[in-house]
Amino acid sequence: MDFKELFALMERFEKSGLSELAFKRNGEEVCMKKAVPVAAGPASAAPLPVPAHPPAAEAGPSHAPDTEIIRAPLVGTFFRSAAPDAPPLVEKGDTVKKGRTLCILEAMKLMNEFQAEFDLVVVNILMDNGRMVEFGAPLFEVRRA
Amino acid sequence: MIQSLFIANRGEIAVRIIRTCRELGIRTVVAFSQADRDSLPVRMADERVCVGPPPARESYLNVRNLITGAVLSGCDALHPGVGFLAENAAFARDVREAGLVFVGPDPDVIELLGDKIRAKRSAQDLRIPVIPGSEDSVRDGGHALETAEEIGYPVMVKAAAGGGGKGMRIVRGSGELADILAIASHEAEKAFSDGTVYLEKYIENPRHVEIQIVADTLGNVVHLGERDCTVQQNHQKLIEESPSPVVSAELRARMGEDAVRLLRGLGYTGAGTVEFLVKDGTHWFMEVNARVQVEHPVSEMVTGVDIIRQQLLAASGESLEVRQEEVRLGAYAVECRINARSAGRVTQYVPPGGFGVRMDTFLYAGCQVPPWYDHLVAKVIVTGRNRAEGLVRMEGALADLLIEGIATNQAAQRKIVSHPVFRKGTYGTGFMGEIFKEGGL
Repeated sequence: MDFKELFALMERFEKSGLSELAFKRNGEEVCMKKAVPVAAGPASAAPLPVPAHPPAAEAGPSHAPDTEIIRAPLVGTFFRSAAPDAPPLVEKGDTVKKGRTLCILEAMKLMNEFQAEFDLVVVNILMDNGRMVEFGAPLFEVRRA
Repeated sequence: MIQSLFIANRGEIAVRIIRTCRELGIRTVVAFSQADRDSLPVRMADERVCVGPPPARESYLNVRNLITGAVLSGCDALHPGVGFLAENAAFARDVREAGLVFVGPDPDVIELLGDKIRAKRSAQDLRIPVIPGSEDSVRDGGHALETAEEIGYPVMVKAAAGGGGKGMRIVRGSGELADILAIASHEAEKAFSDGTVYLEKYIENPRHVEIQIVADTLGNVVHLGERDCTVQQNHQKLIEESPSPVVSAELRARMGEDAVRLLRGLGYTGAGTVEFLVKDGTHWFMEVNARVQVEHPVSEMVTGVDIIRQQLLAASGESLEVRQEEVRLGAYAVECRINARSAGRVTQYVPPGGFGVRMDTFLYAGCQVPPWYDHLVAKVIVTGRNRAEGLVRMEGALADLLIEGIATNQAAQRKIVSHPVFRKGTYGTGFMGEIFKEGGL
């Protein structure tokens, strides 16, 4: 993909109603995410004008400057292993390739495999096995590998 | 009785539900989006679950996260509040399938009432007067012309899946029918993913009057009198009052009986509202809102019946606390909706108070009004021995209310409440147009 194509894609994505886009071709990969997705309120008034100051940054556990926090993308039960008697999917200190399952999030009887979005090292596991997690709950502290 | 209630909503209605739950000893768990982390209901509830990012479709409309949150937080029931998923039959079914009580009517009843054509037919079957119109959806231009000639112009095009004025248009003559039909259908398709439209006789400048119902699973169906919601702008209600200045005791009895017969006939349970148009002492059925409504406090203040409490009792399989013959329609109550016209941080907030004044709101000094959701931020409700006294009290309450940091419609509401036409009580839904013309708003 050349820059022209990339810029065209960015422009189309910006105008689209999508909040996330992943594009793969010939081993190349592009991921785009909107910081502030388009509002879709209940069937009532038009969206209100956006506030002058952005809302306060989300509170969370403190972490080293070279690490990041991976948060739950949905509400569910956090499982560290694929089955009750199976070993944990990842341990502290593991180096994990992109696409590998980090944990299971069970929601409405569905086992959602939550995968690494990039190569990483697990610095810390922040959630106990079997606990309920809400959207945005911190699960792992990781360092990009 | 319900032990733990999951509230799948936000803002003032979540606060309202939490208050009644406290009185009933019900534990509350409130859902919230990342934009509402520091909101009043989140502070007030016993527990809270973040269900998604700010956009409603990823949080307050996120069925999977809401139901999972309710189950995992140990709730046995879910209250949908108003708006969002409150009248979504598929959601109500999913809630039940997850083993939770849905605080609202049966999903099949929600589905039937969501289809305005089926709802109208049900009303007709139960001998309730309906607005003359096409018996069914209009299939094509020829069929529409024929129907319009039959009922006589002006006619109203309405969306079967309608609400909030979308897909709704007035047609004054046969020349413009085809074009307007196409526009309305397109609008309905976009808003509700269903372009089905039908025709109705257009009632010029009517009153919008609705009957509040509470019903339990034991066969008790009780009406709590009417609310007059004629003051609207773009089909959005601004002021609601009870009793209506144009409803006589005799008309109230007829409308109440019709509303009770309809919801009893449908096997309706919980809180619901039957909407009518009224003109010259005649009433026509319009639609049923299969949920508690924003303006329910007006009926609460007139009758002394806590409607949310009756809803929770009915959902628990218990009996209502009030019989029809015990309902006393007290003096007068009126509500003004305070809508935000900009989002942001509320820097100052001082509510009105005193005798006969009630505030339902999620505001506090320092709170955020996020740009993502409905613009309703507060409801000022006052009572009086009669309409004149109530409206004077409302003027005072609106003068006392102080909200800084965001723009609201507070000043506009004061103008309406003190407007001589509003004071006289003799106006129709065209009233806002008159005020517009005067350049006051």
